[in-house]
Amino acid sequence: MVFSRLFFIYIFLPICLLLYALARNVKQKNWVLIIFSLLFYAWGEPVYVFLMIITAVINYGAGRMIGRYQGKAGDTIATYFAVIYDFLMLGIFKYSGFIIENINALLSSDIPVPDIKLPIGISFYTFQTVSYIIDCHWEKVAPQKSFKNFLLYLTLFPQLVAGPIVRYSTIEKEIEDRTTSITDVSYGLNRVALGLSKKVLIANQLSVIADNFLGNVESATVFGAWFGAIAYAMQIYFDFSGYSDIAIGLGRIFGFHFDENFNHPFICKDITEFWQRWHISLSTFFRDYLLYVPIFGKRRKYGGLFLVWLCTGIWHGASWNFILWGVYYGIFVFLEMIIGKKNMKKIPIVIRQIYNKIVIIVGFAIFYFEDLGKLGGFFKTAFGFGGHGLIGIQDKISFMNNIYLVILAVVCCFPLIEWAKKLTDKTFFTKSVASLVTTVCSAFLLLLTSVMLVDATTNPFLYFRF
Amino acid sequence: MSDMNKNNDTPEKSEYVGRYEKRPDNPVSADSSPRPLKPLKPLKKAGTSSSAQPEKPRTPKPSEDAPKRKPARPDGQAPRKADASNGRKKKKTAAEKEAARQRALKKKQEKRERRHNKITRGIAWVNVAAVGGLLAFGSVYMLFFKHETISQDENRYLATFPEFSAESYFKGEYTEGIADYYDDTVPNRDMFKKFITQRITPLKGRKFGDDQVELHGIAFEKKDPQTTTAAVTTTKGTGTAVETTAAETTTTLPAAVEPAVDGEMANNILIANNRGIMIYGGAWGNEKEYADYVNEYKEALPKVNVYSLVAPTACSFYTPENYKDLFESEKKDLDSIKRSLKNVTAVDAYTPLLAHKNEDIYSRTDHHWQPLGAYYAAEAFAEAAGVDFDPIDKYQKVTLYGFVGTLYGYTQSSALLDNPEKFIYYKPKNTLKVTRYDSYFQNPVEEDLFLDPKTLDTSSYYMVFGSDEKITHVNNPSCKNGKTLVVFKDSYGNALLPVLANSFENIYMCDIRYFDINAVDFAKEVKCTDMLFAMCTYSAVGPNRDQIYNNLHY
Repeated sequence: MVFSRLFFIYIFLPICLLLYALARNVKQKNWVLIIFSLLFYAWGEPVYVFLMIITAVINYGAGRMIGRYQGKAGDTIATYFAVIYDFLMLGIFKYSGFIIENINALLSSDIPVPDIKLPIGISFYTFQTVSYIIDCHWEKVAPQKSFKNFLLYLTLFPQLVAGPIVRYSTIEKEIEDRTTSITDVSYGLNRVALGLSKKVLIANQLSVIADNFLGNVESATVFGAWFGAIAYAMQIYFDFSGYSDIAIGLGRIFGFHFDENFNHPFICKDITEFWQRWHISLSTFFRDYLLYVPIFGKRRKYGGLFLVWLCTGIWHGASWNFILWGVYYGIFVFLEMIIGKKNMKKIPIVIRQIYNKIVIIVGFAIFYFEDLGKLGGFFKTAFGFGGHGLIGIQDKISFMNNIYLVILAVVCCFPLIEWAKKLTDKTFFTKSVASLVTTVCSAFLLLLTSVMLVDATTNPFLYFRF
Repeated sequence: MSDMNKNNDTPEKSEYVGRYEKRPDNPVSADSSPRPLKPLKPLKKAGTSSSAQPEKPRTPKPSEDAPKRKPARPDGQAPRKADASNGRKKKKTAAEKEAARQRALKKKQEKRERRHNKITRGIAWVNVAAVGGLLAFGSVYMLFFKHETISQDENRYLATFPEFSAESYFKGEYTEGIADYYDDTVPNRDMFKKFITQRITPLKGRKFGDDQVELHGIAFEKKDPQTTTAAVTTTKGTGTAVETTAAETTTTLPAAVEPAVDGEMANNILIANNRGIMIYGGAWGNEKEYADYVNEYKEALPKVNVYSLVAPTACSFYTPENYKDLFESEKKDLDSIKRSLKNVTAVDAYTPLLAHKNEDIYSRTDHHWQPLGAYYAAEAFAEAAGVDFDPIDKYQKVTLYGFVGTLYGYTQSSALLDNPEKFIYYKPKNTLKVTRYDSYFQNPVEEDLFLDPKTLDTSSYYMVFGSDEKITHVNNPSCKNGKTLVVFKDSYGNALLPVLANSFENIYMCDIRYFDINAVDFAKEVKCTDMLFAMCTYSAVGPNRDQIYNNLHY
């Protein structure tokens, strides 16, 4: 199920909230959450829900074993077993088709390509189990003794299908002991409304522009190619960060404090900073678990870097363009590392901004085109070799038809809420007024979003693909 | 919803207020922007850097404060104690005064804080009541208000509640079906959709230029329309509902928008001066394929007179000058078809239509021509075929009002919705015997030539000529010229039937997309003397042309 549909917002969620509120203690509340999380997942994946439960059983068992044999052989065996199992499942269900296709292409063999549907959210929950197992192994967290609690951690529906990748350590204590204050609920509801409107009012609308221009990029003008790519970059941002907002908001309503996943990535000054602001839970995962694995010997700094970006690319999808996309970012991060932070700061900000925006926009174009031939077409068009001129009348019409939408999207890339908060937090009075204004805004956005959703029979989140 | 936090006013609550305030949700804070590439010891860092551990609140719990203060006041002992100490340390009065002042200040501060907390909580309650109330109301609205079953605007049946079966459950269809049902049948759906079209979507931007141009889709697909034409449903995602049952039962509600536009529509529509115009992207060689297929019919039926009438669409006549570059020329492709036809007569509909372009020969809100346009095209064909043709005043003119057709369905543009048009058609006054068969030429049913317009929604007046899935036979008892015409057509052809009915003794009207027998055998069976291919450019050069070929090879 996706969040941005009326059925979720007005039927699934209210029933869940009501039962959650009626539950008397944390134990009962946890049961409500587990049942609704499994229901949520099974709604779209009535078969793969069992795969997820098996994964939970295996990782839970491995965790227990790690706890029992701390530092001994059993610990290591359990760790390896669980991690290999997790990645094997991810490999089979996400990458087997891609791998076999490439083997076939390479060896001109004829192995039948398996037709496996990607289980929703497997990329996200696999990373959660892996982080849990490794944290247990490193004794950073105590293995969870109750299977029920572990299942809750893994399946918690706000973050189940599209992140953020919540670490076990983040909510370890809250699983067993948490309360929700009215301010939490209020904050959570507002955050959900914000996330929904980002997705429905901005991302969905931008997607039309992106598909129109990028979908036919070979016959587009230079302006058209860039316009499409910019719309797509913003679409993904509002789509994915909107989803994270909803996840964080729902989590807060249930008393969980997830970490932020996005921090206004488009205001970054360089590419390294972009990745400190974009999909934070993924980049910290790679930083913590992959960057310094000692498999590259002395060159591990660069080797690790390469590995991180390769994996970032692969994680996003079983297709070459994603791998290219990861490596592409790796190259820029590497270049910035070579230049050095201090030297980077010496470069005039205007140049740095132009540089990073171009890199980011082209990056999203790479992300868009799973067909590398079409990606080539994009580059040809975007850099003036498409032969369709700089700008055409269709670009002008389309731009004018969407001008307010585009302006709104660009403005919303800035940390407006934070700025407003800074201004109003000065006195208690202004803060209170701001809260009331927030209430009005949230209610208005939720209403508007709901009306818009009447129009959208199908409306899936983009990040479901990963 | 408001039951949610019954025990919120218990003392522990302020602990969470404290935590809440200490962990500002300002994502700009250093905590939440970890640096993925900074050389750190990741293992220890991860837990702490992400501010994962719920920290103990600094502010004291009210529950702890209360007992401390209480014993000081009620019994009279406390003041006495204070007196005693006063006697001993008189010198320290200044310091004590200061301490007392501090205590008072602290007390005052605490009091203020408590008041502030109270207000903050109050506002939070208001917020929860507002947003949560909206959720609760929406929930009641979705669950208990009467669900829609038909969308008048879209002219289709909405999703129905799925029936349970183990198979559909494990395919995920059952659960998705339930969700789709609720999403698709929102009470007052059409009202909401209208509101979106008229009030929300226009906020996206401005119309362009003097002609008030809007562009839906793209305009620069100058390539094989095989890849560019598409039915409405593939782009709008409204096809989840049950159009098929609508098509099968053919009761009052004819088969939705879908069959009528199958392969006839472009994704790319320009709206100028409140008229929707499909952007023609050119045939790029496909027009020759069309001609070849039609030539095959002639080869198979050498004694039959074969005609090809490819109708241009509105873009050839109504595109404002400034935007002509966005279109390929239909005329060019029509000429190319004419050159490629062998022993087949190309009927030129373009010239007469151009001559009458100031009349309402094309719909503004629909991708079809108006029946008047079809009349002029039919006239051109009758002339080419050398048959009689009735002047228009011999027909009964019927006017339907408030027509907002397929182009609105696709673009959802308020420029079209707010400017409905008339739909005028012409009824032969003499009696005709009309029989409709299924696509296998079986199961004949006698019917009227026209559907009753009262059963039609304002979006589908063009359906007055009947649906596409049937083979229609019109026998004219008053016409004894011995000619039998077989028409292979798309929905453009439907409008030709009434105005050709007095020119042929028998007409068999077959849609190329819904024809399941061998076309040549069929023509021989009905003793065809004349054969007309009548369709718009999109069908002739788009994917529908393959059907012409397929129908030869059953």
